[in-house]
Amino acid sequence: MKFVDEFRDAELGRAVAGEILASVEPGRHYKVMEVCGGHTHSIYKYGVDDLLPANVELVHGPGCPVCVIPMGRVDDGIAVAREPGVIFTCFGDMMRVPGSEGSLLEAKARGADIRMVYSPLDALRIAKANPERQVVFFAIGFETTAPSTALTLKRAKAEGVANFSVMCSHVTIVPPLRALLDSPDLRLDGFIGPGHVCTVVGARPFDFIPADYDRPVVIAGFEPLDILQAIQMILRQLDDDRCEVENQYKRVVPHEGNQRALEVMAEVFELRPHFEWRGLGFISHSGLKLSDAYADWDAELRFSVPGVRVADPKACQCGEVLKGVIKPWECKVFGTACTPERPIGTCMVSSEGACAAYYNFGRFAREREVV
Amino acid sequence: MRVTRIDEERRLALCAARDGATSTVEVELVAPVALGDSLLVHAGVALVHLTHEEVAA
Repeated sequence: MKFVDEFRDAELGRAVAGEILASVEPGRHYKVMEVCGGHTHSIYKYGVDDLLPANVELVHGPGCPVCVIPMGRVDDGIAVAREPGVIFTCFGDMMRVPGSEGSLLEAKARGADIRMVYSPLDALRIAKANPERQVVFFAIGFETTAPSTALTLKRAKAEGVANFSVMCSHVTIVPPLRALLDSPDLRLDGFIGPGHVCTVVGARPFDFIPADYDRPVVIAGFEPLDILQAIQMILRQLDDDRCEVENQYKRVVPHEGNQRALEVMAEVFELRPHFEWRGLGFISHSGLKLSDAYADWDAELRFSVPGVRVADPKACQCGEVLKGVIKPWECKVFGTACTPERPIGTCMVSSEGACAAYYNFGRFAREREVV
Repeated sequence: MRVTRIDEERRLALCAARDGATSTVEVELVAPVALGDSLLVHAGVALVHLTHEEVAA
């Protein structure tokens, strides 16, 4: 298939890996963060990590939409789902994220009407088919997913669907990156930029990384060769003493992003003063809420939402994994008490989570290494 | 996904994935679309028109 098969060519991949090996300075340790959970998934699925020299380390970033949702927010969702007459809808992986008293899936098993949808448009269809019920969509995700919620709300408003509302937990990618770059915990040499977020926001929002922090960024696609090539481009920038935003994913990402999507988002959402991120705490202007024009469709205004902050379980180290401070296998409960079947932390829930990706694809290699 | 049917009035299109699975996609953000166009779709919304000149080049 065009745009896919040629980026999975094993021979080409080994050739690029060979060029990377030849280009690295012996004795220098390179730390490159892949921001997006989709990249983390591909890296482990295709064994990209195994093709890299030992002194090129990939650090997994905070770009998994499910992983950054704090436990208190899950509890808020469950509280709304338990309201009489409510049909609560959300994406499939969100259903398994543990709150302080279980997940949405467990709340469903206890009788709440919670349904999995593939898009907010599906939730709107459910609302139109059930006019006597209140239908709530639990909106999560970065700028890639936010346009879908925004368009659905525009449609709900235009069609006058009054029994539909959105519990908005959308987040934006730049503020957590700035928080990570300001953190003394982590020294990074460069970033693999989130390709699909950039289809919406374009390349420009990442200019602050080379400008303010002197670190290269390469926006990348999600096939193994995309990721290898992005790493090679980052290393080249470091070698040339250059520092800029480059776009490896030009076949999909326009430099300016999708202006229509940005306009729709600006109409429907506004920034929250603060939003809590799992492991990263409260970050200013990093979350979205519905604008005043869409207040009638805001589930947080329509229902009573507890809004209580809940600390993560003591054993869980998702915060450190999300900040790239520890590797998934360094967490005390990784693969023992915390597995994809029974996750304690969010990073083990979604296929884009670093722990789940490592558990599903990478742990065997690690076990061989240890032996 | 590839466009297989278009509802211009409602800005929706029926699209087929490479495995043949079909779904209704909101195309407002990439309109106009034509039958056979390739779109990058996320959460039911087309975000990129993959057949535009820049990509096809």
